[in-house]
Amino acid sequence: MERQVTGLKRPRRRASKGLITVGVALVILLVASAVLAPSSLSQGAVLGMLPFASVLAVVGLGQMLVVQQGGIDLSVPGAVSLAIVIVSRIPNGDNALLVPAILLAFGFAAAAGLLNGFLVGRLGLNAIIATLGTNALLFAAVLGISGGSPTTTTRLLQSVAGGLSFGIPNSVFFAAVVSVVVIVLVKKTVAGRRFEAIGANPTAARATGLRVRVHQTAAYVWAQLLYCIAGVLLAGITAQPTAFQGNTYLIPAVAVVVLGGTSLLGGRGFPLATVVAAVFLSQLDQFNLAVGVPYAVRTLVQAAALAVGVALYTIDWSRVRGRFTSSRPTKVATTV
Amino acid sequence: MLRKRILSLTVAIGLSAVALTACSSGAPGDDTPVPTGTVAGAPDWCGPKQITLGLLDGFGGNSWRLITTAAGADEVAKCPSVTKYEYADGQGDTQKSISDIQGMVAKGVNALVVFPDAGEAMLPALRSAYQAGVVTVPYRVNPGGKDGVDYDAWIGADFSTDGANWAKWIQTNLPDGGNILFLSGPKGNSQGEDEYNAMTGALDPAKYKFIGETPFEPTNWDPAVTQQVLTAAIAKNPKIDVLVSDFGPSLLGALPEFQKSGRSIPALVTTDGNSLGCFYDANKAANPDFKMMTVATGNDNVRLAVQYAVAKATGGKLPTTTKFEAPTFEDSVSSTPNPVECKSDLPGDIFLSAEMPAADQAALLKK
Repeated sequence: MERQVTGLKRPRRRASKGLITVGVALVILLVASAVLAPSSLSQGAVLGMLPFASVLAVVGLGQMLVVQQGGIDLSVPGAVSLAIVIVSRIPNGDNALLVPAILLAFGFAAAAGLLNGFLVGRLGLNAIIATLGTNALLFAAVLGISGGSPTTTTRLLQSVAGGLSFGIPNSVFFAAVVSVVVIVLVKKTVAGRRFEAIGANPTAARATGLRVRVHQTAAYVWAQLLYCIAGVLLAGITAQPTAFQGNTYLIPAVAVVVLGGTSLLGGRGFPLATVVAAVFLSQLDQFNLAVGVPYAVRTLVQAAALAVGVALYTIDWSRVRGRFTSSRPTKVATTV
Repeated sequence: MLRKRILSLTVAIGLSAVALTACSSGAPGDDTPVPTGTVAGAPDWCGPKQITLGLLDGFGGNSWRLITTAAGADEVAKCPSVTKYEYADGQGDTQKSISDIQGMVAKGVNALVVFPDAGEAMLPALRSAYQAGVVTVPYRVNPGGKDGVDYDAWIGADFSTDGANWAKWIQTNLPDGGNILFLSGPKGNSQGEDEYNAMTGALDPAKYKFIGETPFEPTNWDPAVTQQVLTAAIAKNPKIDVLVSDFGPSLLGALPEFQKSGRSIPALVTTDGNSLGCFYDANKAANPDFKMMTVATGNDNVRLAVQYAVAKATGGKLPTTTKFEAPTFEDSVSSTPNPVECKSDLPGDIFLSAEMPAADQAALLKK
């Protein structure tokens, strides 16, 4: 599904590099897990890992849409936390109020997305600054609604988001549906193709008459809606979340996009690779825990994964090799 | 273009935070001797001298703090000599917390009870209040410094008592030993270390083995991290006999991981919370090994601090201790001092161990 040809894409050769890379990395990790820490592949461990991988996948897909437009969205923590607070605090244990609360959360998400889109797409503010500001506003809403404590989520949400169906965590089904929707919309619809074309080259897209600002704004709105879904799932999975539960998703959300091969400069998105990267990062966490790596090293490993991801795709390795091989003869010459 | 620039500028200004600092000079010290004695109908820590008291919170925004603050106000109300009571919330901002102290001193309060969340960063402000002649009593979090030099007294929580209580229960209920998994907050937090040292001091290392990272598995008291850490620990250790955690309610989403692996939830020793009590009630039948013991979460630490500050400022009788020792609260095995309690009609994040009645706590959270 990655290999479609439109006139505005990069050469076909690079098409699924992200998926291959992250897929191979996942297989290597699974083999390493099986050999070094078999407990991390036990049924209980996998069932415990998958819900968090699902949440990360949904957050990552949202971030991917923004990155495709050459932007970056640092309002992930606020967005996820706000969704959590709304769906736990508003119903306050009453199942009947859960659906209205979820709708309200989507309303807030759309508003936050429009604000980001307006600041970045229309006013042309730097995406980092604008989304950081929005993040602060979202946290203001979090504290305003919750007073800092989101309370226990309703039993209904706990069983829907945190439960199992056919032995598989429900959150996996939600993430799968979200992934399919994103893949179909971006890769199979006219609007999706325009969306990618604009991300690849906004100037050329504007010249051809595409509405660049509308698509850039739309990226932020869609992203917020996805963060909202992730937040609702996370609220159900953790049962008694904190008001700042979204904070831990800032770096992983960018990391899975980068590991999935989507360029931070914008252009083509790789939704499937992003989802695989989310599974990879979550299993990496579980692997580290199972091996018994100290806490300090666990955070380092995550950062290293991000650095390696960026390095894989942005460094021109053939040039590095070239430099390395060409410098060798001179070294030999001087020593002899 | 100009309009665009003005708009961008407006937005930039709107998004930037402007920190305002309040400067104030300290009030002159009050050197007149405090008359001693008691007030009829009031507790003995309430002396005859009339005073104004300020309660300062570093971060007032969660249910535990709300209940703690209300408990402080309730304790103050027991003493009619306190003619005026003021409260300020630092909102997690160290600079605001410091200027709150300075503002209260400038207004001429006689006694200050302070939750110094920022730790040692609060010490200079506490010291200047103390030197200005205000009775200064920090509580719970250690601000560094010394009693009688930097402030009147620090009314800290004695977390070793929690550790000792947990160890005692473990010895009674698992006399043959077992594997203990201890979860605490951020790596290196002194609360977790004190608890660990108290437990290892009491438990025979030949019988009781701490599994996982020592002194504790760091979870940042974050329910998502707790869940991930526990999932890995369950998969890795076929036998976990006791789970110890110093923040019980954060386990709510994590405990079902045992059942997902086809195992019973083991014995749990932790701190109380209504949601946890209700979780126990709902799951004890399906989990034969699930026993639970809790110590009080310590909302009433503030009461001891208020008693000390009021006694010192009004000339009442000082409390005999400056350490708050959280009592054992629930025990599902012996039912002493209490069986596990669940008030399912009230919010999950109230603390039934607190002196304040459950219904009053629920009303506070509804506000």
